[in-house]
Amino acid sequence: MLISVRDLVKRYGNLVALDHFSLDVREGEILGLLGPNGSGKTTAINCILSLLRYDKGTVEIFGRPMAPDAYESKRDIGVVPQNVAVFNELTVEENIDYFCGMYVEDRAVRRGLVQEAVEFVGLADFRRFYPRKLSGGMLRRLNIACGIAHKPKLIIMDEPTVGVDPQSRNSVLEGIRKLNEHGATVVYTSHYMEEVEQLCTRIVIMDKGRTLATGTKDELKAMINRGETITVEIYALQDEDVERIRQLPNVASVEYDDNRLTVRYANGQHNLLTLLDFLKSRDLSFEKVYSERPTLNDVFLEITGRQLRD
Amino acid sequence: MAMHVFSYRLKCLLRDKESVFWTLAFPVLLATMFHFAFGHLMTGEPAFEPIPVAVADGAAYQSNFALRQMLEAVSADGENQLLRLTVVDREQAERMLAAGEVVGVILPGEGSDTGDATSVSLMVTQSGIRQSILKALLDEYLHSYATVSSIAAANPVALFGLIGELGARESYTQQVSFSDVLPDSSIGYFYALLAMTCLYGGFWGMRNTNDLQADQSPQGARRSLAPTHKMAVVLCDWAAALVVSFGEVLAVLAYLAFALKVQFGSQVGYVLLTCAAGCLAGVSVGTLIGTMVRKSEGLKVGILVGVNNLMCFFAGLMFVKMKDIIARNAPVLSYINPAALISDAFYSLYVFDNHRRFFTNIAILCVLSAAMCLVSFMQLRGERYASL
Ligand SMILES: Nc1ncnc2c1ncn2[C@@H]1O[C@H](COP(=O)(O)OP(=O)(O)O)[C@@H](O)[C@H]1O
Ligand SMILES: [Mg+2]
Repeated sequence: MLISVRDLVKRYGNLVALDHFSLDVREGEILGLLGPNGSGKTTAINCILSLLRYDKGTVEIFGRPMAPDAYESKRDIGVVPQNVAVFNELTVEENIDYFCGMYVEDRAVRRGLVQEAVEFVGLADFRRFYPRKLSGGMLRRLNIACGIAHKPKLIIMDEPTVGVDPQSRNSVLEGIRKLNEHGATVVYTSHYMEEVEQLCTRIVIMDKGRTLATGTKDELKAMINRGETITVEIYALQDEDVERIRQLPNVASVEYDDNRLTVRYANGQHNLLTLLDFLKSRDLSFEKVYSERPTLNDVFLEITGRQLRD
Repeated sequence: MAMHVFSYRLKCLLRDKESVFWTLAFPVLLATMFHFAFGHLMTGEPAFEPIPVAVADGAAYQSNFALRQMLEAVSADGENQLLRLTVVDREQAERMLAAGEVVGVILPGEGSDTGDATSVSLMVTQSGIRQSILKALLDEYLHSYATVSSIAAANPVALFGLIGELGARESYTQQVSFSDVLPDSSIGYFYALLAMTCLYGGFWGMRNTNDLQADQSPQGARRSLAPTHKMAVVLCDWAAALVVSFGEVLAVLAYLAFALKVQFGSQVGYVLLTCAAGCLAGVSVGTLIGTMVRKSEGLKVGILVGVNNLMCFFAGLMFVKMKDIIARNAPVLSYINPAALISDAFYSLYVFDNHRRFFTNIAILCVLSAAMCLVSFMQLRGERYASL
């Protein structure tokens, strides 16, 4: 276990930001910490990193208790904080070199690492730029480069892609996957479920300072009693047909409204095929068909009764 | 690693153009204003008023030929007239001093150490430039007299030539300006200005604390996560602030010396030492406030500006009498006030011959700074924070 958190309690006055929060991070995984804004992700990360004082609980990293002076452990951790933490007086390259230099002493080695990091975040053309001259998304990417340039064993990223444009975001996510393939274990917090679903090998859903559910995305989706949702644009469907569709295997619910048929399934296979076969057999013509897999939002909705994103 | 952190810190601070501008521009602007305000004093024109002095008449004065000759020489009419001498009895002299008609009373035959007929002492009621000149004059006289005596004892023949030289009219006036400064009053303002520039080091100390504490800035949080020992980072930052602050004081000093032609006399080394100790104190004050006040940056800067100004005020940098008021009513304050210590170090440099008082000031400055740093560093060392 690379990180082992047990029963963290963190209070801000009367507000309980972490309520017996526990977490295990296994070597080699990309762990996603998914939760809506204010659910305590950042607080959890800062407690794990010994930046924040907490009221109760224990944190171990690399099997050693984490503390402000656990420098040996810190050497192997890379952090991309939620708030961009770069110096406005240093250029892109200097910023990366500065932070990298706190981990890697050898200048020659460092030069290579800095170049790699610059390319990694796609800022090669902006090496000599000062942070003030960068767009919000570029700043975020610089922030990422500063956190990972020294090739840490464990990378902790707190919402690293907020404000990054979709194209750069994809390349960043791709990069994180590469870092992971090269052996880095990643903890990734986000409130974007798509991102977490796309990237993470294991997901922890948290809300109100508590862990709600843990597992791979498939495991999580299996936890709720829901399979795909199929939507068909179809005209003049008879009530009788709607009733028959309701009788098909695995169907949980059927709605027909405004020439739009929505069929929700519990789990099961070949649901789309069965439905299309049925429509064909009834000689019903239709326009478009959509099939949606359940999302983590559905999981969150099911557990909390609220949407992940407000 | 330390060099890495230090050199980047230096870069950060030096490229903080706004801070560099303000901490430099303000002293330079003020110096330029002083220059035009006191311009006539620095061009060496005889804007100098002879200093009114009384001598207590009596057997001691009449028998002290060397003293009489010297005093008469420097109070003779002419370009080099230094004193306006009144020879009266002692009571009358003291009345004149009390009434402010004279700046000091020279008491022949009274001396702290010797007590012999050739000794002389000075009575003043205030400290100031004119009093300092008087003191320097008498010290110089005593010094020359001691030289004469020892030569006389060793080689009586050589005495004849020397007495002629000492008795020469300009001899003493030249001696007074021996440190190639006629200590004019404007120099005091420039010393005050330097003290203030030293205290501006506080801005750098404060900026450091901002970038070191996890609950003050994202940069502070980020650097708290690095594997470099936090104390090492604190010390590197601190050293960089000190270097920048001292560099700025040197720049202001150079501007005063080369552009405005302010004369710092033969004690340049000591002036530099005072600047260094001053910067140390300045940076420490900023560091202390930055660690103790955990509020917005604007508030912290405001508090620092307020504290600096208050210290300068109590040190008499804005209103000269304040220094005496503090010395009389709250003497402790002048020992714990860095501004007072810096300005007093400068002051004692050109008033006193020996450097005892000067080094006392420097020592207290260093001890104070060390105490402030100790308290701040303990705080900055970096435990977990209650809230970020
Ligand atoms: N410094 C603080 N003081 C008081 N409350 C805070 C502080 N920081 C965070 N909180 C509260 O703690 C909860 C968790 O916040 P946070 O960890 O930032 O959530 P997330 O990162 O998931 O968005 C929120 O309700 C937030 O308002
Ligand atoms: Mg957060």
